[in-house]
Amino acid sequence: MPLPELPPWRGAEGGTPEIEVRLGNVPDQLPDIIHRGPILQIGGDGSCRYNMAGVACFLIEGGRRITVRPHMAADAPDVRLFLLGSVFGLLCHQRGWLPLHACCVEIGGRAIAFAGPSGIGKSTLAASFVRQGYRLLADDVTVIDAHAPGGPLVIPAIGRIKLWRDTLDALKISADGLEPCRNRMEKFQVPVGGRFQLTRLPLTAIHLLDRVSDERQAELLPLVGLQAVETLLGAVYRRQAGERMGKRPQMLRAIHRLLTVPILALRYAQGLSHLQQTVYRMAARYEGRGE
Amino acid sequence: MTGFCWLASYPKSGNTWLRLALQSLINGGKEVDFRSRETFAAIAASRADLEDVLDAPVDEMTDDEAEALRPRLYETQARAAAAPLFRKVHDACMTTYAGEPLFPPALTLKTVYIVRDPRDVAVSLAHHTGRDLDQTIAFMGDPAATFGLAGKRQLRQVLSTWSFHVESWLRDGPELLLLRYEHMLAAPEEVLGRVALHLRLDASPMDVRRAAAATRFDRLRAAEDRYGFRESPAAGVRFFRRGIAGGWRDSLTPAQVARIVANHGPVMARLGYA
Repeated sequence: MPLPELPPWRGAEGGTPEIEVRLGNVPDQLPDIIHRGPILQIGGDGSCRYNMAGVACFLIEGGRRITVRPHMAADAPDVRLFLLGSVFGLLCHQRGWLPLHACCVEIGGRAIAFAGPSGIGKSTLAASFVRQGYRLLADDVTVIDAHAPGGPLVIPAIGRIKLWRDTLDALKISADGLEPCRNRMEKFQVPVGGRFQLTRLPLTAIHLLDRVSDERQAELLPLVGLQAVETLLGAVYRRQAGERMGKRPQMLRAIHRLLTVPILALRYAQGLSHLQQTVYRMAARYEGRGE
Repeated sequence: MTGFCWLASYPKSGNTWLRLALQSLINGGKEVDFRSRETFAAIAASRADLEDVLDAPVDEMTDDEAEALRPRLYETQARAAAAPLFRKVHDACMTTYAGEPLFPPALTLKTVYIVRDPRDVAVSLAHHTGRDLDQTIAFMGDPAATFGLAGKRQLRQVLSTWSFHVESWLRDGPELLLLRYEHMLAAPEEVLGRVALHLRLDASPMDVRRAAAATRFDRLRAAEDRYGFRESPAAGVRFFRRGIAGGWRDSLTPAQVARIVANHGPVMARLGYA
């Protein structure tokens, strides 16, 4: 199946793929089932069955294989939306990579992540950075190899930003020709083209986003110790699913490694002009221009 | 395995007030601490619950898809719980996109439905949402009206019209106790006692008296003045505003009243609001 969101392979010819995605049959029930929900099933061997009614059913095995049984046209954007979102998130948990609910951009050759719950402004922030000329590593889910020999690395994968129509309008980006994330959904895929960071970069800071109602309450403050651990754990993408898979110890070990980089609470005021200011301030901070 | 007690109402009809009174009641009539995050009866249309309990990718789902999963959420929660679960509800009592009841009767232990004079609801709702009275009156007459998108912490809740909302619950709400806001205001102790009995709460008459006193409207107002209230719609906008019945008389024009009566006359008459 075509996956236009992923950049073409530029490595050596004929290597063995790390992750296989193929169309095929998915069993109704996994063997030795340890969790059975209406969407997610987990098998005794850690394999996952993820079913989105009307869209597709996915089987995720061994952190390497994804089988897709579409309930609609296989090339519909809807199928890719769930594949590259939740399904890749489950695969990360299987592989021992930490998926953070965060956007991530390159500033001064380093990966800077901004985490927070849905609707907090991650994608809008990512789009603002890209517009200022910075490169994108992730718009919604930042995948981290926390145990890389030189320190935590961010693994970029998907060169697009998902934006709601009102955000496109606010950023004066035309929706003409953009592919909707789903049929009849007012959320669109904005490709970043050459602004995509293709190679892994060292993770240098994680910000936990929080909105404040008043500009005077805006602040940046370091989180340490248990507070940092709890906040990061809360920002793990598909954390509950990971815990059901028995991956909580693995997540905590990864988070422990992340404490080697600064973890900061970033409280910013609502509104586009405040967002632009946040972009300038962060860029200055991480390009070493002071604040 | 247990089930749910739904505390249902159209918005701005006294639901929060009743929940605070019940919170006080189960604590033996203690004053409700506005600084605490403790909430009696969390919202049934919780986005976080759907994500956490069912691993639902709500971000990527349509409102209809998320709604269709809510009966699964309630089944899972009821299976896991040992004691009755209380939930605040603003949805109309209706069927999901998939055609099954949003609030499964088999999982419902009790329902309390609170109704308030729609003329007072209009004034209170306009204040709460920041829309003007004419827009609010149109909203209350809109069959497609929905609630709860702000901040995306809540799932979409279909209200439909005020009349549809009331009739849907009176017709389909299982094990239903109907309360009037106006009655809660006039005789809080009596109403709270009836609710406690209906919900089979273990509360003595003394607890009921204390809880009714601790959550008198002026006490809640004073607490909001002092500490703010986490459910207030925006900074500087009061949640507990007037707490009176018939306030519409000095807030609505005759034309506005006429529009509400034109939209909702039959249901108003049925409930004695004519």
